[in-house]
Amino acid sequence: MNTTDQRICLWLVPGFGALLMLAFCIFPGFFPPLSPTLSAEEVATFYRNNVGPIRASMLICNVCGVAFIPFFMVIVVQMQRMANPSRAFAYSYLSAAASGATLFALADLAWLIAAFRPERDPQLTMLLNDLAWMAFVTPVGFILAQNLSLALGIYMDAQPRPVFPRWVGHFNIAAALLMTPGAFALMFMTGPLAWDGALAFWLRVGSYALYLAVMFFVVRAAIDRQAVEEGATA
Amino acid sequence: MTDTPAMAAPAIQAPDLTRTKNLDQWICWWSIPVFYNLFGIVFVYLARLMPPPSPGLTTDQIIHFIRSNATHLQIAIVTLSLSLGLASLSSGIIVVQMRRMKGAGPALAYAYLAALAVAALPGCLFCGLMFALAAFRPDRDPALVVLLYDMGLLSFVGSLGCFIVQYMVFAIAIFLDEREIFPKWLGYMSIWGVVTELLAIPIWIFRSGPYAWNGLISFYLGTIIFVVWEFCLVVSLYKAIKTQPSQEVLA
Repeated sequence: MNTTDQRICLWLVPGFGALLMLAFCIFPGFFPPLSPTLSAEEVATFYRNNVGPIRASMLICNVCGVAFIPFFMVIVVQMQRMANPSRAFAYSYLSAAASGATLFALADLAWLIAAFRPERDPQLTMLLNDLAWMAFVTPVGFILAQNLSLALGIYMDAQPRPVFPRWVGHFNIAAALLMTPGAFALMFMTGPLAWDGALAFWLRVGSYALYLAVMFFVVRAAIDRQAVEEGATA
Repeated sequence: MTDTPAMAAPAIQAPDLTRTKNLDQWICWWSIPVFYNLFGIVFVYLARLMPPPSPGLTTDQIIHFIRSNATHLQIAIVTLSLSLGLASLSSGIIVVQMRRMKGAGPALAYAYLAALAVAALPGCLFCGLMFALAAFRPDRDPALVVLLYDMGLLSFVGSLGCFIVQYMVFAIAIFLDEREIFPKWLGYMSIWGVVTELLAIPIWIFRSGPYAWNGLISFYLGTIIFVVWEFCLVVSLYKAIKTQPSQEVLA
């Protein structure tokens, strides 16, 4: 069994992950996150004064933002090795991963469009800015579906040596729950659940980064074992 | 691809979840009624977007609709944001059942999955985001509130192609299938699904009458056929899982 394809997809994670981390750090509106309480004039001023870094950051996101898809498909391949009654959860995971990526792409477009003509009517810039933040922070349903499908697949993996250890299932559910508060950002202007809040923003972004880092090692171990097991039986 | 054979695990190692036969498919099956009940609460009861308010409302009426309804809209869209992933689970089980078919290859099953993965944003969540944006700042420039209103309802009722592909590949698969995993009449009903999407084309032109986005033909007829179709799908899926031979190896 050749696992080279899976390893290439796997190693895209640290590569593109580092680029996305860089993009995150150079975006002037994340430290601290832009407040939803800013007036239209203040939002427009922010875009006018920071055109360069906003474009640089969001162009990196545009190029790299969907680059975790191959990694998620490695998880789909590993899920297909599980001794589940069917592949229902693997297909669910694939579907959720694809739908989720479209939202990140939408957020990225809105940020870039706002920065394209910063001299626009401030009301329009504010609308694009609102769209970007909401599309970035609030639609957590697909991450929930992804992690839940994976966790259920792990719990039902009825073989002596399951593809992923059971704690990975618990970990996926915990990560999903930590990202859930993001959904409430579409109804709060201030506080921890607003889009710049500790729960809706920092907890969500932080858990996602940690989640990807842990899953990188977990998936790498699963590929290693697949190579050994299927190499040995070949 | 060589799958690791499902070895009979020693009793101590068998997790509880593997005892129920086809539990994974049942979980995915339940996601459909759960999702559509939530969908009904979200769009009909809370957001009042189904049946949709008229495209003919004046700017003041649209602003009044958003303002008087803002909290409900927000609760609705939070619920939608949290639960829309259930739609992915329902694709999971339909692909499994479509892959059991004989005479219809997996291409149609994958097309079904991909079409619905695309549909989630333009056909549902985009509408939610637009109304979330409107409700978040109802004091926006009125022209922008009207723009959000139009973008929300037009994308919701007028995203056609992804659902046409979904119905079409499903119908073709059912007609080709020699095993009758799903009854043939469900295939004919899926053709009606395609027709309802085509009947929604005029919403992009008409702002009143039966072909508007809240019209008798474009909205009500389409929605009634969709609800009946979805109900029949759930029942057919139930039967398909129930009658699945226990020794059958599922893809």
